[in-house]
Formats: sequence, structure tokens, C-alpha cells
Amino acid sequence: MDSAQQTWKLVSLSPLPAWVLVILCAALVAGVVLACLGLYREPDRRRRALLWGLRILAGFCALFFLLEPALRNLQVARARNRVAVLVDRSASMGFPVEPNGPTRSSQVADALDAFAPQFEAMKDRYAFDVFGFDPELAPVSAESVRNTPPRAGRTDLLAALRALKAGDSSSSSRKLAGVIVLSDGADNVDLASGLSARTRASLEELAVPVSTFLVGQEGLKDIAIEQIKVDDFAFVRNSVTAEVELKGHGYKGENVSVVLSREGRTVATQQVRFAKNEDTQTVSFTFTPDQTGRFVYTVSTPVFPDEAVVENNTRSFALKVIRDRMRVLLVSGRPSWDERFLRGLLKQDPNVELISFYILRNSGDNANTSNDERELSLIPFPMEEIFREKLDTFDVVVFLNFGYTEPGLSIATYERDLKNYISKGGALAVVGGDRSFGDSRFSFTMLAEALPVESAGPSDGQTFKARLTPDGQRHPVTALGTGSGSAESAWASLPAIPGLNLTRAKPGAVVLLDHPYANVAGQSAPVLALWEFGRGRTMTLMTDASWYWAFTSHVGGAPSRHYERFWGNALRWLVRDPDLTTLQVQADPPSVEPGRPVGVGIVARLPDYQPAAGADVTVELVSADDGRLVGTQQVVAGADGSARVEFPPPPPGAYLLRSTATKNGKSLGTGQDALAVRAVGSELADAHVGAALMAEIAKATGGKSFTLPSDTSLASVPLLEPPLVEVGRSKDQPLWDRWYWLLTLVMIVGLEWALRRRFGYI
Amino acid sequence: MPHSFSRRSLLAGLTLPVASAFAFGDSSRFIPAVAQHAGKWDTRASGLRRLAWELQRRTSIEVVLEARAIPLSSPRLFEHPFLYLGSDGELPVLKSDEVENLRRYLTFGGFVFADANDGSDGNGFDSSFRRELARVLPQAPLAQVPSTHVVFKSFFLLDAAPGRVLNKPWLEAASIGRRAAVLYSQNDVLGAMNRDEGGSFEFEPVPGGERQREYATRLAINVVMYAMCLDYKDDAVHLPMIMKRRR
Repeated sequence: MDSAQQTWKLVSLSPLPAWVLVILCAALVAGVVLACLGLYREPDRRRRALLWGLRILAGFCALFFLLEPALRNLQVARARNRVAVLVDRSASMGFPVEPNGPTRSSQVADALDAFAPQFEAMKDRYAFDVFGFDPELAPVSAESVRNTPPRAGRTDLLAALRALKAGDSSSSSRKLAGVIVLSDGADNVDLASGLSARTRASLEELAVPVSTFLVGQEGLKDIAIEQIKVDDFAFVRNSVTAEVELKGHGYKGENVSVVLSREGRTVATQQVRFAKNEDTQTVSFTFTPDQTGRFVYTVSTPVFPDEAVVENNTRSFALKVIRDRMRVLLVSGRPSWDERFLRGLLKQDPNVELISFYILRNSGDNANTSNDERELSLIPFPMEEIFREKLDTFDVVVFLNFGYTEPGLSIATYERDLKNYISKGGALAVVGGDRSFGDSRFSFTMLAEALPVESAGPSDGQTFKARLTPDGQRHPVTALGTGSGSAESAWASLPAIPGLNLTRAKPGAVVLLDHPYANVAGQSAPVLALWEFGRGRTMTLMTDASWYWAFTSHVGGAPSRHYERFWGNALRWLVRDPDLTTLQVQADPPSVEPGRPVGVGIVARLPDYQPAAGADVTVELVSADDGRLVGTQQVVAGADGSARVEFPPPPPGAYLLRSTATKNGKSLGTGQDALAVRAVGSELADAHVGAALMAEIAKATGGKSFTLPSDTSLASVPLLEPPLVEVGRSKDQPLWDRWYWLLTLVMIVGLEWALRRRFGYI
Repeated sequence: MPHSFSRRSLLAGLTLPVASAFAFGDSSRFIPAVAQHAGKWDTRASGLRRLAWELQRRTSIEVVLEARAIPLSSPRLFEHPFLYLGSDGELPVLKSDEVENLRRYLTFGGFVFADANDGSDGNGFDSSFRRELARVLPQAPLAQVPSTHVVFKSFFLLDAAPGRVLNKPWLEAASIGRRAAVLYSQNDVLGAMNRDEGGSFEFEPVPGGERQREYATRLAINVVMYAMCLDYKDDAVHLPMIMKRRR
């Protein structure tokens, strides 16, 4: 508060209540008016004016005595108001003011140093509080601003101003007289696109002038991937488009390569050219995910030597690829009961889109027609179309007892296509019969490499019951029931099947069912085997009588759905259905902001899909680019089989989460997910300064906008005046009780009386 | 090389004893199974053999030539998804275990081709079969099969359903869901293919003669093809070409 000073004011000392004084004053005014009106017949204007003047003066004199005026001597002081200085502590304040120049924060620190003596000079009127906002308000000093790097992930000017005003409303000691904002104006929240009617109204509600000091220079050279517009999920084998918004500052006429990659593998490259120095270009990448799951895609541009910020040249996003309907291509060497029951099953499954081709007539068959075209319903086998042109549109290809040497029916030409299809993530199931494996009239050469078994001679005709192997007991494909031991009992309940294609499992193959007594090279002959080939999966079933499990199994017994469940499991395993894993691992969230920890949710299930309570879970965080192990966490699953771990913030990039779980020493399988750690948040994605926004804020609130470092004077910063308050005791000095005031009244009244008589009035 | 059968090989096959053991691959082949009941069930055995032979000759379907008689109450019914049911005269009242077994057979995917060997209409096999089928599948009454049904295009493009006779130029079906579990002809389809002991056709198809015999054979092949491929020829990929050929 200022030192006290003397002042005075005029007061009435009348003991009468105010309402009486008002009535008396009104009566007095009325009397003067009536007295004046009595002179309206006076023809001489000078006389009339003279009498009017005397009567009005007399009225004033009477009023003077009525109100009993006095001078009140006061001791007052001016209260100090508060001025808030807001310093932007967002990460963009770490950008250089100019290429190779000091940071914006350093320039703010210099400005605070320059302001300090001015704060001192005005301290009798204003208290200056300096806050940093990140976006929470916290006191800062020039030194702390200079020495502590700004870290906030966003710039929210409006929130900072509102927080300041809210603090002011709750404080009755000092009122806010003004705000000084030191910022680069790179707001990326409410004011990101300038002032709207709503935000302008919010600023006006502050009712204090906000003056802005812009930090940083425009014209900084930088390329930033500002935004990627893409859905959170996509359908496998359906195209998806990612729109990349690329902002260029100072790169007019420059050609820039934009690369889209998936976990280190380039998916597509596009070229853009900036037409002007401040330009935004949009690049669209349309690609087709070929697998389900979550994948991290990265968009990047080359880093130019003179760029202000290099971290914003890369941006990653996570895409969850799901399945719409499973497209199954069923190719059958001839009509058979295996084909008939499998078709019946797949056709009634609403999640399956079945495309099937059966060889209904061999070249040696004679239909006994005179005109095949008119009498037969047969169509040519469109091998070129299905095995080359549209092969990638299928999720699963099923060969059912299919193996021909005839030129019109042989797929030798397309074996390479099929093998590549599997390598790239496709799935193939080969079902046996008298045209398959060792009984085939034709041996696959290239395609055989993708199969988990190899032929081991002609078939074995003995009837047998398929036996579940140890691998089969815990594999989802052969999990036919629920509850422990259910898979084994379910398979044991299925009828015996007549005969088997003799094969031997290749190293790495997983045999789920085998023959109880037929051996191949000392090993039980496999009945059902599968493995992963490249990024795809293949499965072989060495019998043409799986329909026994669908039909013969119903002899006299209760209906079972083992056949449906087996093929359902098999197809879901082939297409990598995420739900068909006993161990699910999921990044939470899949896109991690820089500096944030990586949360991981895990759900472990037993082979029969019951919760694996108490399972020991290990989760590894691995770089998707180079396979480097970043961290490992171990946790025990809870009663519901779920667990959660957290990794410390990793560097920016694409990562894979790999999880394993065991219970009582037995493996529960593996799980995998992907996540992206962003190189920079939206805060660092753009190095521009918001000069226009800073000016708009100042204008909307009655403040002024300045630019650092040229403007460091606070002299013209608009601030609300501090109010005066009384201090000490007052002393009244009456004015009305002086003799000369009474003499004046008598003289005026006397003069008026004398003149009235002289002019002929009574 | 595709299998082909000459008359000589057929005759050689006929001399073989009926084997109940499977060879590898037999399980997925067409085996002409015939329902064994208390009536005259075996009058079309040679017609069934002929059907199997024609299937082998004209289509890619692999067959077992010999017909196998399966009692309606036998669990062996469930090894033969195709079952021929006929009788020269009335079909006797089925026993309850036969009804139960046949119902389960049809419900879980079995197929019955019923054929009035006596060419009856409202009496004989016709009335008795309708009576017994109503016991087996009370919820699936017989209904006329429209000419657009896939059975008329499952291999040959057909417009009618002739047999040894032409009582009614259509088939009837008892359907479970969208699947025709039973197809029934009053025209004695296999009668047109039946041969006597001397190897000659046993009956002269009326009124169409040899041409009618050929169409009866084609119908029987289509019926088997339907039993084994269901509605395959209704898939979208086939429709444009079939419609073009039907014009």
C-alpha cells in the first residue's frame, strides 16, 4: 500500500434524516420556482432577471443553511493491485528463437531480467507475481526459466488465464490489475485455430487487460508431420487410407519423400512439394493389411540440415486390423462326403464367406451329351483368377483331396503364387484322400515346402481312432470342449475313421493328432499337423473321412458339435483369430505419448480357456525395428487370469510386446501386441510462433501486444488503476456557521425586498 | 489317369462278393446304399449299380459299384450319407427304432432318395411312403420341388424329372432347414436303369422310351450330385453361365 496522504471531502452535518432533507429541499425548490413564476408579467426583462437572480440566490442560501455543509479532512492511501506475469513453460519454448540462436525460454528469462527493475519501480502500485504454466500455474523466476527446460506437452493459454482469474476471485487481498503473457503463442488446445466467438467471450469475461509479449521469430525452417488421419481399426485384406498432414516452414519448392513403414518394413513412399514457404500438404497412403492384429505404422520424412526440430519428422500410429467375414476358398478334387459336410458347415456359418470350386468332371469322363454347353451346368475351373488374381483376397485356402496332373486341372503353374500367399500371411489347409499326399497323382513341389508334413508312401487302410498328442491336448485347434481333460475325452468319443494318408512330420511341425499304431520311421503317423510358414500358417489333415466326426458320430448318441468346433477352431487358428490364444497381451494405450510409461494388460487362460489364476507371466518390450530388448517385466496373474505391468517411458519408436506365461511349469502359450511411442507430442510437432493469436488475445481483453526482444518496457502496458482506501480518523470543519454567510443571506433577501418595492410590487 | 469303366469291367465287378470292408478312400466315395425294410426293397439293385457306373463314367465322383443293403434300424446307416429307399408295392409300417434311427440319420445330415418302384400314385408305395415319412419327419412335409431348385442343375441342366414312368414330372422334397433331406420321385427313376439278369434294360420307359431313360439317368446323377455337393451350383460364380445356357 502507498504511504498515507491527506485529502478532504464535502459533507452535510445536518442532524435531520435524509428523507426529511429531501422533502425540505423539494419544498425549497418549489418555493423558488413559484417566486420566479410570480414575475412572469414583468415587462422589463432586466428587472425580471434581477429579481429572478436574487430569489434563486436566496434559495441557495437557504439550502446552504439547511444542509449545514462542512469539510471533512481524510487520511487515505492507494491499495496495491496484483499483476500476473504468465510464462509459457510448454516444450515448444525449448525451440530456438532463430536457427542456432538461444531458446525461446532463454529469451523469456532475459525479458524477466529486463522487467525486474520496472517491477521494482511500480511496486508501490502493483505486486508482480511471475507464474509458469505447464499448464498448471507455478511460481517461476528468471533463473528457473533459464535453467529448467520447458517440458509441458501442450500449450493452453486460455486455461492458464482462467486459472489465474479463478485464483483472483478466491483471493480478497489483492485484485488482479492486469496480465502479462510471455509465450510463443503456439497454442494447441482451445486457441489452436485462433479466437472463436466462444473463446473471445471467455477472454472478455476475464475483465482484465492481457498484454502479450511474443517470443520467437517466424520464418524458422522446419518440416513437421502435424497430423495423421486414420481409423483406429481396419479390416484385413481391405484397403485403408492414412492421410498425413505435412507442414513445411521455409521449404518452398522443396521435394520431400514421405515414407510409410510397418515395424521397419517400407509399405509405401510418396513425394510432396511445398508450393510456398508456409505450406501444408496432405499425403494419402492407401494400403491393405494382410494380417489381423495390432501393428505400428510409422510415417517419416528426411531431416534437412537446417531444420529447427528434427523429432517432428517422424510420427507413428497403431492400427488394429480385424476381420469382417472370413473368406474361405474351398477347392475339392471331386465331390465327396468330406466336401459335402465341410460345405454344409461353412455355408451355415455367418462369419464365413465361402467360395468353392469342385472338379465335377475329369477330362476322361464322358457325360454322354450331344452339346456340353447346353446340357451341362459345368463352368471352366478359373485357376488364373482364383490362384493368381484374387488369391490375396482369401483368408484361408482349403485343398480337399486335390491333386491332378491333367493340364486343365493341375495347379503346378500356381504353386509359387500359393507359396508366396502363405509366406505373406495367408493360410492353407490340405485335407487328405486318395488324390492327396502319397496317393496323389501329382506331387506338389514348391507348395509342399509350405506343408508341415511330407509324404511317406501309400495310404494305410486300417480303421483307427485319432489319438490326441501332448501338443494336441493344449492346442486351441483340438480344444473341443470345456473343462480339464475335455479335449482328450471329446476326441476319444469320436468314431474311428477308415484309413490314413501316411506322412511324416517335418522338423518344427506340431502334430496334434496321430495314429495309435501306424508308424512312419519309428514315429506315430501324424493325422493332424500344422505349423507357421513365413508369416502364414498351414495345416494338414491326413484323412478324407473327417465327415465321420460330423455324421457317424451321431449314431445312437446325443448330438455333439465336435466336428463344428474342430473346423471352427482350425479356421480361427489359421487366420490368427486373436481370441484363439490362451495368452492375450494388449498395450494400453497402443499409442503412447512421449515421456509416458507403457501400460500392458495381460489375460492368461488355461488350455481349456479357463482363467489361469496365479500364472507366471513374462512380458518383453522389444524394438520393432531392430529386435532389441528394451525391458522385461514379470508378474503373477490374478484370480481372473489378468495382470498388468508397466514399463518406464521408452524412447520414441515402434515396439512389440511379447509375452509368455506358465503355470505349474506348463506353458500357456505366447502373446504379442504392438505399440507406438510417439517421437513428439502435438506440442513439438510444430515450431511456428502464433503472433496473430497473441495480438488477438491482447486486443480482445484491452491489453497490448509486444514482441521480444525489442519490446521490454512495461510503461505502455495497460493496467487497472489501484483503488484509494481511508486510513486514520477524519475531522469535520463546519462551513455554514460563519457570520458572513448569514449576512449574505440577509443582504440578498433585503435587496430583493427593496427592489420589489421600488419596482412597484407589494 | 482318370478311372474309366467298360462293360467288361462292370461285369467283372458284379461277380465280386459284396464287401463291407473299406479300402482307403472308400469313405468319401459314393456307395449306393439301399434301405432294407420288410417290403420289396431290393428290386432296383441293378439300377443302383448302373447309377454308380454312370456316375463313374460321366462325372468325377468316385464310386463303389456294389449296392449295400442297410437295415433302417442299423447304426451302419451312419456310414452312408446317401440312402436309396424304394419298394415295389407298399412300404410296410416302420418299427419305432427304424423311425427313430431314420429321423436321426436325416436330421444330422443323411440324405434319402425315395423312389416309387411301383409307379404308384395315391396307393401302393406312394401312400405308404407319405404315411411313414410323416412319422419320421412330422415337421418337414413333402413339397413339390420348383424347377429352379439346384437339383435340376447340379450337373445336367434338366427341366423335368422322368423315370421309368412319368406320373408326375416333378420331384418332391422334405427339407430340414434349406437342405432337402429327402427327395421323392413317383416315377421309378432307377427302374429306367434297372437291368435283368441277361444285362438288358428290364423296363421300357414310357412314354418317352430311350430318350426318357437317358433323362432319368441324368436325373439320378443330379440327385447324387446334389446329395454330395448340396447347393454348390447355386453359388454366385455359376449363376451367370447357367442362366445364359438356360435361355
